[in-house]
Amino acid sequence: MASTACFVIVSKNDIPIYEAEVGSAPKKEDLAHQHQFILHAALDVVQDLAWTTNAMFLRSVDRFSDLVVSVYVTAVHTRFMLLHDSRSDDGIKSFFQEVHELYIKIFLNPLYLPGSRITSSHFDTKVRALARKYL
Amino acid sequence: MEDYPEELRMTPVSLVSIVGCPELHPSISAALSSQQPPMNTLALPDFSKASILARSGKARDPLAPPQAPAGILKKDWLLKHRTRVPAAVAALFRADQVSGDPAQWLQACSDLENLKSAIQGKNTKLVVVLVQAQASDELSEDVTVALRKRAEIDSRHMIVLVEQDETEWSRSLSKLKNVFAELCSAFYKEEGRRIKARIEKRNFSSVELSIRYCFKVAVYAEFRRDWPEALKFYEEGVRVLREMIGTSTRLPPTQRLVEIKAVAEQFHFKISTLLLHAGKVVEAILWFRKHIRSYERVVGTPEVAFLHWEWFSRQFLVFGELIETTAATVPDTLSPRFGTADNALTEWEFQPAYYYQLAATYLREKRYAIECSSSVANLTTEASGIPESVMPSVYVGQYVRLFEQGDTVSVLPLSDTEYTSYALSEAERFQDSYEIIALFRKAYESFQSLGATRMASACSRGMAIEYYAAGDFSNAKQLFDGVAGLYRQEGWTTLLWENLGYLRECSRKLNFPKDFISYSLEMAALPLFSGSGEENRENKIKSGPGGSPTISRRENIQQEVINVLKRKQAPDGTNDEFDNAMEETTHLDIDQISPLRMVLTASVAFHDQSVKPGSPLLISVSLLSHLPSPVVVDQLEVQFNQSDCNFVVHSAQEDSPPLDSNLHDQVVQATSLTLFTNKWMRLTREIKSGQSGKLECLSVKATINKHLVICCHAESPASMEDFPLWKFEDHVETLPTKDNVLAFSGQKLIQVEEPDAQVDLVLNSAGSALVGEIFIVPATILSKGHAVHSGELKINLVDAKGGGLLMSPREAEESESHDVELLGVSTVDGKELKEEVDSIRKIQYSFGVVSVPTLSEGDSWSCKLEIKWHRAKSVMLYVSLGYSLGSTEEEALLRLNVHRSLQIEGQIPLLVTHQLLRPFRREPLLLSEIRSLGGDDKKCSLAMNESNMFIVNARNCTEVPLRLHSMTIEPDDDGKQLCSVQQVSGISNGHAVIAPSEEYKGIFSVNPRASSSNFHLGDICLNWSRDSSLGEDQETHVIMKQRLPEEIKYSLVDSQNFVFSGAHNHAAFILPKSEHIVSHKLVPLGSGSQQLPRITITSVRYSAALTPSTSAATVFVYPSEPKFNLETSCSTSDECVS
Repeated sequence: MASTACFVIVSKNDIPIYEAEVGSAPKKEDLAHQHQFILHAALDVVQDLAWTTNAMFLRSVDRFSDLVVSVYVTAVHTRFMLLHDSRSDDGIKSFFQEVHELYIKIFLNPLYLPGSRITSSHFDTKVRALARKYL
Repeated sequence: MEDYPEELRMTPVSLVSIVGCPELHPSISAALSSQQPPMNTLALPDFSKASILARSGKARDPLAPPQAPAGILKKDWLLKHRTRVPAAVAALFRADQVSGDPAQWLQACSDLENLKSAIQGKNTKLVVVLVQAQASDELSEDVTVALRKRAEIDSRHMIVLVEQDETEWSRSLSKLKNVFAELCSAFYKEEGRRIKARIEKRNFSSVELSIRYCFKVAVYAEFRRDWPEALKFYEEGVRVLREMIGTSTRLPPTQRLVEIKAVAEQFHFKISTLLLHAGKVVEAILWFRKHIRSYERVVGTPEVAFLHWEWFSRQFLVFGELIETTAATVPDTLSPRFGTADNALTEWEFQPAYYYQLAATYLREKRYAIECSSSVANLTTEASGIPESVMPSVYVGQYVRLFEQGDTVSVLPLSDTEYTSYALSEAERFQDSYEIIALFRKAYESFQSLGATRMASACSRGMAIEYYAAGDFSNAKQLFDGVAGLYRQEGWTTLLWENLGYLRECSRKLNFPKDFISYSLEMAALPLFSGSGEENRENKIKSGPGGSPTISRRENIQQEVINVLKRKQAPDGTNDEFDNAMEETTHLDIDQISPLRMVLTASVAFHDQSVKPGSPLLISVSLLSHLPSPVVVDQLEVQFNQSDCNFVVHSAQEDSPPLDSNLHDQVVQATSLTLFTNKWMRLTREIKSGQSGKLECLSVKATINKHLVICCHAESPASMEDFPLWKFEDHVETLPTKDNVLAFSGQKLIQVEEPDAQVDLVLNSAGSALVGEIFIVPATILSKGHAVHSGELKINLVDAKGGGLLMSPREAEESESHDVELLGVSTVDGKELKEEVDSIRKIQYSFGVVSVPTLSEGDSWSCKLEIKWHRAKSVMLYVSLGYSLGSTEEEALLRLNVHRSLQIEGQIPLLVTHQLLRPFRREPLLLSEIRSLGGDDKKCSLAMNESNMFIVNARNCTEVPLRLHSMTIEPDDDGKQLCSVQQVSGISNGHAVIAPSEEYKGIFSVNPRASSSNFHLGDICLNWSRDSSLGEDQETHVIMKQRLPEEIKYSLVDSQNFVFSGAHNHAAFILPKSEHIVSHKLVPLGSGSQQLPRITITSVRYSAALTPSTSAATVFVYPSEPKFNLETSCSTSDECVS
């Protein structure tokens, strides 16, 4: 498991709807802050890149010192952004794909308003479990 | 990059030296430096100066054990090779110096010896140049040979320069250049090989030497322009250097690290430059990444962390500058592959701005580290003080202390503690903030031009934080404001929180209490729920003055605002500076796009859509706040566009509600006005509607803690936007009003209707109208309380069955006739009024406008509408009266309307039927065959020259009695010639009254004078009126016309085989689809197949004849028995001819 990993789901209007620190390193508020900061700045690159390729998984689109940003863009342009320091591409890809399935399940909920923040503890638990498994 | 010595920044250039003949030096050095590759020239005017070429260093005792080197690289080594150690030396002699005077020859020889001894022990090559005036001045062979022998050089290195002749000069010069180039190459190769051999044989005593050798070999390779070799040895050097960190013990740890990093920096710079100049951008970036990764964690002890970050930042800055100066572009093959597996680079890594931004970030890291170190250092090293006269040593990255004792100056090494305090004092002298800001600004502008707004705002934020740290709060606030806008828009609340935290502090420092309050409230209302974070010092530095985003912190911030408002001294005494700037009350304006909408939102809904003026109406005011703690509202003021409606709600908790000067306001007491987080506070009040027109709620002003007035623009629940930041999956959407319908459709504005009209409009109907008459509808206007000014009566006739128009479209095309027509409006009153009325009277077929004279209260006015029906039709009559209450302009604007409608049926008054009575038939007839004709049967033929009776029945179908004035038959031209019509019984006493559903019969005698198969008898004209019992004074005469029936005739032709009885020609009337049977009795005269008499049927109207086919008219007659009475009956069915 990666020591640092910050996972954020950004809705298509650029609002983060889910945030989680999934790294094994001890949690520090200011770091979480810094991570979000890097992820937000990386949106610029993703914005350009997402339209140039058919691939959903965009690996290492941005880096900040030894932290790398990988992104998974869904069909409705929701972006799963992961800030990580691990090098396992396959793991990250699998993580994204499984989270995508979870996200679709959230989306299928008729009571879920698209674009609202995901606060389901079930989703949170699942995402953290996936992070432990793949990252 | 400018800080680096020039020799490091420039590519090494070979150095040659020329001695003697100073007058020729300028042209020779110019020629050499224009060479490709160029050569630098060390020009010595005469041989006495040659000693500087000699080795300057002390002769080492060859027997002494090899000493460990004191450093890795000597600072001046590269400079020495560029300026003082030539690869080749050329001794210039004039031809006359060597060929003439023996004394001169001896001098030349000794000069040459001196030169040789100066370059003794080096590989420096020697060239001898003889300068001749003319090419023809042939030097004797033995002189040149002797000179060569003296110099111990190859014959190739003996060159003759011809001074006077231009072509000869340049030819000989180029020869010299070639020789030099060849010798330089050989020199540097040899030097390189010499050192390389040491590396390969591992013939060195320490790691330092290994690195030094690598550097030297690489530099010699650069002199030769052998880039791959240079690169190889630089990389090797870096590798060894990196390994050295853990192993070397020569220096104290801190200084050792500093030295290693300084050397690594030089190596890295060389490698990057080589790669970038060769156009290998991708390799350069990958190399840089490797370099960064290998040194990132080598921070050293915390006291000297700032040295590391400074160095680290410089790496980024220099690399960014290198990329910028070499104008590296993204290779075309790479750009579409960003983010894919086969490309490890990101798009930004090709942008210098990326490196500047990181350099700034790390420089800021240095600033933090200095802050930490200085606070520690102040405590510990105060006593020992900062060592004096510390200077850089001869080795790269080393510092020593000069120690003076009397006249002797010695160099002493430093201890780590001394070095640390020296470095710290040096570092504190610099204002890093300005450099950080400059770097961020450079990156910001670059990213902005690339269209990367988020990266740009990240840089902008960096600048702002530096300004904040440097105490320039107004600049910081401006930048933070810009960045906060982006985070608000994109809803990155954690980042927004941090930003607002800075903004809040800036406002506090700038003494802007209003901004302070609004930023604080916005922070408090942000949706942040992370657990209670531990507040520690480091945390506070990094996450800004806002603290960590937790609920408790939000509550604290809200409490701080309240403290500021109450002028209460905060426990830490931070808000006392607001005392001067605080106004009596602070006003905050919140509109629909304000970020403070989360703090307080007002939704206002009227319960009805429209209301009568002056009548009470219900209004719901709902307030929502996302602040974490409950908010107590002292007073709530609701403002409308009609200020009469404004009202104020006071919280009952307040002891003495202040008397409001505004007399219009209605003051209401409410029990408690407390807003709980994320719960609507709903108030429903009854207010009096104002004037007619639009009544709109403009704003709701909430007074909190007496000194804060928040003015919220009122929002309609129907068009209220949700809060994008407060949208949560499990968040139950609350509605502003309890009534669901109102929550979805409620509006903040209401239409106040116009007042009720106090004028009556009466339409009297006289039952149903009759077709043909002019029907009068009296309309009366009765004023009951309003005077009528500039009144106008509008009359409209509409088909009661819908469709609006009173004629069918087809009819409208064909003619101008209307089924129902408005003929006119007549007034009953005086003539002078009528003239006035006429001027604006406008009557069309179904529409009319009539002006009404001015009526004072209690007056009445009436008119009569004349309508004529052309067909029986039901019609809606709409009459509307529009008037104003006065004749002044403003009163004229307000018009009141009264509407009345009336349905009027149109009826046909009389139903007319007729009957003909024929005289007795006199033709011979077989009585049994004569069928009696029904009385209602209209088909008939009239006997010529006989008097036929013609009876006309007129039946009253209305409910009113009618008066029949006359009933006549008006024959047309045909009829006049063919027959005469006389009235037998007429109407006595001028008229006959027909009661409803009674019949009147008129009897006429018709006397045809000529035989005709078809003629029109004429039209029946009835002249009638309503029975005057209704009081009408105008008689209506109606003429009705009806057509008489036509004939159809048939004829039978005699057949020789039969005799028959009956008429040969006859006429009959046949209704459509009915059957008429014609019977004849036939007596056959012979047997066998016989032809029946032929029948021909003719339709008179269409002159069409029908003859049955022969087969249908053939019959077989059996031979008869002796009895002669066989009968054959044949019936032919008549076809319908219509």
